[in-house]
Amino acid sequence: MDVVTLATAALALLVFLLLLGGTAKLATAGTDSEPGGLSRLGPGVLVPERWRKPVMIFCSFGEAVLAAGLVFTSNPLPRWGTIAFFSVATYVLWELRRRRPDVGCGCFGEASSAPVGLRSIGRAVVLAGLGVVVAIVPVSGADLLSEFSWELVAAVAVGAAVLMVLSPELEEGIARVRYRAPCEQRPVSTSRILSRLRSSAEWRSHNELLTAAEPEDTWRELCWRFFVYSGRTASGARAEVVFAVYLIGRRPAVRVAVVETETAGDPLVKSIGLSATG
Amino acid sequence: MGVERRYALASAALGRSAVPPQAEEEERPELTGVTGEILDISPHLIIVENPEGVEERLVIAPWATAWRGQQVGPSGLPIGSRVTIRARQSGRVAERLWGDITRVTGVILSLGRERRDLTIELDCGPHRGTRSVVIPYGASGRIRVRHPQLQPGYLFDAIGTRLDGVTFAQLPATSQPAYRARSVPPPPPAYGGVQSRISGAAVWSDAFDDGETGAAYPMLERADSGCDDAGVSCTGLPYLAIGSMLYVGNVCEGRAGVIPIVACGCVAGRFCDRCVECGTSPRGRIVELSPVSYVQLGGDLVKGCFNARVGLG
Repeated sequence: MDVVTLATAALALLVFLLLLGGTAKLATAGTDSEPGGLSRLGPGVLVPERWRKPVMIFCSFGEAVLAAGLVFTSNPLPRWGTIAFFSVATYVLWELRRRRPDVGCGCFGEASSAPVGLRSIGRAVVLAGLGVVVAIVPVSGADLLSEFSWELVAAVAVGAAVLMVLSPELEEGIARVRYRAPCEQRPVSTSRILSRLRSSAEWRSHNELLTAAEPEDTWRELCWRFFVYSGRTASGARAEVVFAVYLIGRRPAVRVAVVETETAGDPLVKSIGLSATG
Repeated sequence: MGVERRYALASAALGRSAVPPQAEEEERPELTGVTGEILDISPHLIIVENPEGVEERLVIAPWATAWRGQQVGPSGLPIGSRVTIRARQSGRVAERLWGDITRVTGVILSLGRERRDLTIELDCGPHRGTRSVVIPYGASGRIRVRHPQLQPGYLFDAIGTRLDGVTFAQLPATSQPAYRARSVPPPPPAYGGVQSRISGAAVWSDAFDDGETGAAYPMLERADSGCDDAGVSCTGLPYLAIGSMLYVGNVCEGRAGVIPIVACGCVAGRFCDRCVECGTSPRGRIVELSPVSYVQLGGDLVKGCFNARVGLG
């Protein structure tokens, strides 16, 4: 295996991780729905609160620029920039571990919320080392295509395996999938549940009883979301049609009751249906 | 459509009983919460005008105690003050009285000084607005020792008195959380699924209507409750709605009740503290009760919390 193949593999790994890290940071900064969500992430905690989001956005743009520079040019500037970036990252992570052992590195946005450990620091060191290789052997994106071989694939695979071993985010991701919050604790979009209701058999069978297109009221209790429509009973009396939609599954369980307006607590006409369970 | 119909409509859809469930019958004598303005008081009798404008006469028990900024005798409460009473015998015998008591819970916005007293402006949540509180010089030591970070952005919770429209903080209601109000720790992963009853701390707030029975619950969907700060808690609470019936059990007193959720407890959800009223509760404020509901469940307003278990009623 020659040096150019190794450098090309290093380039591929660097570009992939820079783009992945930049995108994840940008996504986290953009969906900071819970104010203060960034306060547990990355070097942002070392700067004043109002600078945290700009720092994260600046960092992600910096990574994108470095990745583009590595792919499209052979200029030494992005190469030395990459070495500087990961060297500074190593120092910052070390400092973060010393000063704020409770916060995550934020390397991949909110996926990196586990406290900074030696593995995260080791990964930054390895990436700085890959940057040195790419700086010494100035390969670019064009070499990725021209140098393609099984040796290159093997080198990339070995490098990726080393980086995966050094990535605590993988275990965190697996844990998140395995121990996903139960539906009682998960926020679920109302519009998605409404569209599932409208594709259910219960909706079609009770649609003609509704006198309004939009629900009068909607609320959620544990894993059920309720929609109340004004309507009428089969005999023509004013009524409220209540749909209860289970929050799990593409074809969730839907229950429905038609309650005369005057007797909300004592439904005179009530039909309960159950579609395919989710 | 009022939220009070939600329980009945949900019951109709899910086929459950339309009558709200009651907590299991207790052997302990029932407590009643009475609020109102004192019209007359003597060592043995108190006459209050309740929020509906009805006069209520209560016998003051020989063992009764009262609080108004400090422990006082029941007859030490002045005529005209707002009073909350814990009563037995169907609300006829007063055994604990709290005069002009108030509680200020919120996020510190700004601090100021008025001679030797400290003044704090608090954000009490999107639906409760801001409140100003004065910490008298004499109480500042005990407030500061439990609130070391008297700085904007940190949480504040104190119990005091409201006199002539001015709120005075007298006692810290909790140890101030060390984090900023916007940095609430995430709940632990629910490895075993959601428990039907969740343990934590129950607190009270005076941000309810006078004499109202109800609870404020932190875990509401933001779109449903119209509260942009809802849905935050460091305890793994399930989502419920305004109008849901909430089972609340006082672990310390062995009392329980089923109380409607009437408001969003967005500020309470930001406190990740413990109640040490009887043993140490798990972290997190799981419910904020109106003074009447809190008193009916056996809570002491001055202590500020009790160890509680909550679940869907």
